[in-house]
Amino acid sequence: MTLRTTNWPVRIAGMIGIASTMVLASIGTAQAATDDSLCGTDKLIDIAEMSWPSAAALANIHAIILEKGYGCNVELVAGDTNPTLATLLAKGTPAIAPELWVGSVQDAWDKGIEDGVVAVAGLAISDGAVEGWWIPSYVAEANPGLKRVEDLPEYAQLFADPEEPAKGRFYSCPPGWGCEIANAALFDAYELEDSFNLFSPGSGGNLDASIARAFVREEPIVFYYWGPTSLMGKYDMVELEMPEYDPVIWKCNMDAECGPNGKSSFASPPVIVGTAAWIKNEAPVVNNYLSNISLNNVQISQLLDWGAENKADAEATAKYFLKTQQDVWTLWVPENVAAAVIASL
Amino acid sequence: MSGRLVYVGQIDMFPEIFETRPVRIWIDNGLDWMVKYWGDWFEAGAYPLLVMLLAIQNFLLSVPWWLIIIALGGLAYVATKRWILPIVVVVALLLVGVMELWEDAIKTMALMIAATITTIAFALPMGIAMSRSVILRRLVTPILDLMQTLPSFVYLIPVVMIFGPGKVPALIATIIYAAPPLIRLTDLGIRLVDTEIMEAAQAFGATKRQKLIGVQIPLALPTILAGINQTTMMALSMVVIASMIGAGGLGYQVLQGIGRLEVSRGLFAGLGIVALAIIFDRITQAFGKRLQERIGLSDKNS
Repeated sequence: MTLRTTNWPVRIAGMIGIASTMVLASIGTAQAATDDSLCGTDKLIDIAEMSWPSAAALANIHAIILEKGYGCNVELVAGDTNPTLATLLAKGTPAIAPELWVGSVQDAWDKGIEDGVVAVAGLAISDGAVEGWWIPSYVAEANPGLKRVEDLPEYAQLFADPEEPAKGRFYSCPPGWGCEIANAALFDAYELEDSFNLFSPGSGGNLDASIARAFVREEPIVFYYWGPTSLMGKYDMVELEMPEYDPVIWKCNMDAECGPNGKSSFASPPVIVGTAAWIKNEAPVVNNYLSNISLNNVQISQLLDWGAENKADAEATAKYFLKTQQDVWTLWVPENVAAAVIASL
Repeated sequence: MSGRLVYVGQIDMFPEIFETRPVRIWIDNGLDWMVKYWGDWFEAGAYPLLVMLLAIQNFLLSVPWWLIIIALGGLAYVATKRWILPIVVVVALLLVGVMELWEDAIKTMALMIAATITTIAFALPMGIAMSRSVILRRLVTPILDLMQTLPSFVYLIPVVMIFGPGKVPALIATIIYAAPPLIRLTDLGIRLVDTEIMEAAQAFGATKRQKLIGVQIPLALPTILAGINQTTMMALSMVVIASMIGAGGLGYQVLQGIGRLEVSRGLFAGLGIVALAIIFDRITQAFGKRLQERIGLSDKNS
């Protein structure tokens, strides 16, 4: 979900994209916007509803505001980082990707910007994404000496691996995620092999379940995690300190072939609202709205936590947000739009 | 064209008879409660499984690779008394080694062997009990259906929550999936023993116990062995899914191949699983066949 390393298919898709957008562009101009509604365009605005909860909730929030408030012609389509980016670059659809982690697809994204097929409307998460190594706050309180990653070897017994009790267990990333490589590099740079096992949870679900189990039982656990996520909103956790983010070291850490590995915090990749270029050119009202809609990590994590607690789907979570957080989102839109959205709820 | 967004709500949907959300919250909180207060007990209860699995794994890892190849090749020769199968076994294992998958293959093998042993330990008595009680059979059969059809992803996460992440939940998930065929085939094998033979045993004055141990089980052995063969195969087919909850081994390589779009890595690990499957399938089948010949049930003698 977060930092996947599979860039090459996106690059190929990007190359196909240049060719196909040249064809599409000629068709596109024939349908100039003649709508006099608030929306400013009658073209279908398809919004990518990504497979993870925060992006799905954001997609639904924007879909409701754009449809009920601005009277746009909106459709939600299923997506995920790589497939959505590929079709966005190749076909200019979906028109809006409301939570795009460009850090993981930087090259392809930069190329798309250069070619003028995509655009950045604004930030989706105002304080960027959070990634790091965490311990529960009850562990941090009980062990005031454990603050930095360097301190971990001393506390290995606290996090004993049930399959090899002499060592601690560090919960890393599922296979194939970019953070798996980064974690292995940091594990190596901090020379943790002698005191810890690098445990791969095998899947995101297993990582979540392992963390939830530890928190429910108030057991010690040290793990990799990222935000904004419902888990981060639900449980109190403390990040272990690492030296400041260093792009040179990080680039090497993210490359399994590169060495030696260094110590550096995770990059805090910008999480943006990505759009097809036509939104900027043909739907300035929509673009203006999208430039204005960032939430911070805490707001999103808490929203997701509400959704998880109440078994709400993305649409219900979005409606809950629109109902309860009016002092947040009404600042994004003119008054008449806000009134129309509230009336529809 | 506005109103597309609520496409679902406007169609006449199945009416909400009662709200299910409280039920779901209740189930989830119930699981949390169980994890919180009973987690230690479950973990302690499953500890022997972990010890057995680690013992098997550490033993297999401590044996030199060539000895394992010779041993499995020898087993194949004993099973078939021919040279074809041993050659296939040796070549398949060498291939696994050449693909740099030896350690992963051993881990997978250990998981499969541990799952098979545990399954035999409780599936055999269960199958025997089912063959002797119609009521028990009627009760257990739907549970076996459930175990075989419920998508394993459904119970993977609860099993992790209850037993703690790592090899134990992977082993338990594998057992849930792999046990039904052995239970069914044990039950079937015993019930299919010729009634005339049973009458003869009765005429000799055999007790119920003597009939079971001396007549029914030996005659059902080929069917039971077919069940064990099925169990090993199903355990192997679970390795990728088991790796999703921390089992490691070949399945983990497959997952990594998928995640990084490295087709070659996935393909190599997949071929490794196939190699293990062929080896264990052929060896257990060959033993089953020899057993049938010895009992006199094979096609040749009938």
